[in-house]
Amino acid sequence: MPPASNDTPTPEQAQKPFRVRKERTRFLGLTLDECIQAFFGGNAFVAVIVLALITVFLFREGSAFFGQNRDNLTIYRRAGLEYVDIIRQQEKDHAALSRYLSAIRLATLRHYLDHEKLPNAEAQKQLVDFDDFATRYGDAIEDLRGLASELGEAAVAIKTRHQINLDAGENRRQLLAAGKPDEAASIRIEEIDFEAELALIKDTLPVYEEIASDLGKTLAEVVANPPALPTPELRARIDRFESLNRDYLATFPSTLERLKTWDHRKPVPLTESFTAFIFGRQWLTASFWQDWYGVLPLLSGSLLVSVIALCLAIPLGVGAAIYINQLASPAEQRLIKPTIEFISAIPSVVLGFFGIAVLGEFLRAASGWSWLSWFPGFPFAERLNALTAGCLLGLIAVPTIFTLAEDAINNVPRSFKEASFALGATRLQTIIRIIVPASLSGIVSAILLGLGRVIGETMVVLLCAGNRIAIPDFSTGLGVVTQPVHTMTGIIAQELGEVARGSVHYRALFVVGLLLFFIALTINFCAQKIVRKYKISVG
Amino acid sequence: MKKLLLVAAALLATALPVSAQKLVIKGSDTLGAKLVPMLAEEYKARNPGVSFEIAAEGSTTGIAAITDGTAQIGMSSRRAKTIEISAARAKGVTMKPTIVAYDGVAVIVNQNNALNALTKSQVEKIFTGDITDWSEIGGSPGRISIYTRNTSSGTYSDFKELAMKKRDYAGSAQKLAGNEQIVAEVAKNPNGIGYVGLAYLKEPGIRVVAIDGHSPTKEAVLAKNYPYARPTFYYTNGDPAGEAAKFIQFTLGEEGQKIAEKIGFVPLK
Repeated sequence: MPPASNDTPTPEQAQKPFRVRKERTRFLGLTLDECIQAFFGGNAFVAVIVLALITVFLFREGSAFFGQNRDNLTIYRRAGLEYVDIIRQQEKDHAALSRYLSAIRLATLRHYLDHEKLPNAEAQKQLVDFDDFATRYGDAIEDLRGLASELGEAAVAIKTRHQINLDAGENRRQLLAAGKPDEAASIRIEEIDFEAELALIKDTLPVYEEIASDLGKTLAEVVANPPALPTPELRARIDRFESLNRDYLATFPSTLERLKTWDHRKPVPLTESFTAFIFGRQWLTASFWQDWYGVLPLLSGSLLVSVIALCLAIPLGVGAAIYINQLASPAEQRLIKPTIEFISAIPSVVLGFFGIAVLGEFLRAASGWSWLSWFPGFPFAERLNALTAGCLLGLIAVPTIFTLAEDAINNVPRSFKEASFALGATRLQTIIRIIVPASLSGIVSAILLGLGRVIGETMVVLLCAGNRIAIPDFSTGLGVVTQPVHTMTGIIAQELGEVARGSVHYRALFVVGLLLFFIALTINFCAQKIVRKYKISVG
Repeated sequence: MKKLLLVAAALLATALPVSAQKLVIKGSDTLGAKLVPMLAEEYKARNPGVSFEIAAEGSTTGIAAITDGTAQIGMSSRRAKTIEISAARAKGVTMKPTIVAYDGVAVIVNQNNALNALTKSQVEKIFTGDITDWSEIGGSPGRISIYTRNTSSGTYSDFKELAMKKRDYAGSAQKLAGNEQIVAEVAKNPNGIGYVGLAYLKEPGIRVVAIDGHSPTKEAVLAKNYPYARPTFYYTNGDPAGEAAKFIQFTLGEEGQKIAEKIGFVPLK
């Protein structure tokens, strides 16, 4: 019999299973909960992917540098510039001795002006003999300079022709890629026979020998009759000059030997390209002679301003954190904490402007105060230097260090403090002997993160650090802080506008960026490791 | 039918702002800091409906912009290098220079410095680092602080060619971003020396140095007596056309040259 189609449920239908779960609406096979989960998880994933892409991009753009630098160093050798630089080095050593003579002249002038109280014109007249001596010493190098200049022009001509060949090759490649084989074939590339070209330069060796021996004789003659000087210490300096000159003349045979044994065919290995970057003491670009990409001046500049910044920021930041967390009244806490955290909100370019307009001037005026003259390097003349930049960077680092250190001190369990008080310790003893040591790992991590912040700062150092690309002179001890320096971040900002895409300079800047990336990575890794390893376990 | 109407409306909307012409000019800080903005203002006053975008970040950026096609006029205070010209040709761009004015590079010292005349050889020795102290050339003792431009500046490499026989700058030279910064630092540092374009000579605190007896004046530059003078250029892709051509004509015409002279450049005649 067919079932009756009426409204009341039949006994079979009333036996349906009891559903606990509600039918959920599904969008693309996922419920709403799963959608939200996927959204957050996806965002986190995207952040990691972006970081990986940045790393890959930096590596890709930067790693081609080492091959290009090797080509750079190879043409330096094959076009004969290395040969000419050996001769130029001899010339530079002579110039250094001439500068030493100038320093003696300056000391003598000072003596006449300050001790004998002569007027300037009279003092200059007393120095006529000295000037004659110095001029004869200086003029002796003219022949060598002329030879170096001629050979230099020949070497640069070879290098330029090589460069033109490279450009023509690139031009031809681009035309072929654009599908114009006839025009590509019409570009002529003449091969350079380096052997023959260099023979012209190396054939001048006998001329060099003659000039060098004449130079040696002339210098020995001139130095045999030094000028008369008023005080024993100045006479001692002239004696030292004589011995330095003797040392200089003693280097002539070894220079000749180097020129004789110089071989343009010696290959430049890839590792040399690497060490020339990491340990190179010169960063010189847009030169008519030869470009050098050595990162040491920039690295030392970055480290110097960072150290100055930390020396200022650590006492201020950690001290403020300890005070705010342990000693301050609630009213003081409410006032000081937001103020310090506000410093991190000031745009760094505004601080840089403040540095040029106000702080640099003030520091230079302060270096002239008589009660500060004991500090090595004071008074200084340039108002843009490592000290100005370091002070501002310290100011920038204080909020970072303060916030993280205060967090670390806060995380010390209350039971430590209570136990210490129970044993009868005073407040200061508790802080110094219990709380700070317990939170030390967090404080160290805060300092490292402050260092990471400071090393990556660009705008302040670009405006205030003075931008002198040279390894700072550490011979004056602490006076090195008054010297202008150039940082790695500054060089990228300053030179990236000028470089042609894909050129060796462009890639060198990327490798500097890569180095900064690695430094920041190392600092962060150390900071996290220290926190994890030395974290005090509660209970 | 509805789609066709929609497409037509979109095309009309994009075609409408054509009456506002935009000239993009990029390049040299020497030209782009004062001269070209003033010329642009004058030109805008006479031809409303033309807007300018001027970016002065160094001569190299101007030449690169013409090669990439991102600017109609490239300002440059130096000639384009052969490498740059061949790179442009590979992209189908012909670099055409037009001389707009002559610029002298003046050597400046602090106004408290007693020296106001130097020889060419002294200037070379100072900037290459052979001489490090003012007393070596007869001034009062003090270590010379050298302020130069940075490597994206045409003035930087021009000065090397004009004054230093293509030798490199001293390692102790401090590289600053623009003419104004050099003036500010030299004005505040009694031992400072630097070089700037002729437009910046009237700033307070500095003194201009005469080279081999000649001061950097308009007459000395035109008569080729002052040694550190060079032409400044507009670079265009092939012969200038359209709005760019009219602006260049304005620059070379009488009003443009008068503005250049008022700022401190040397006009072509």
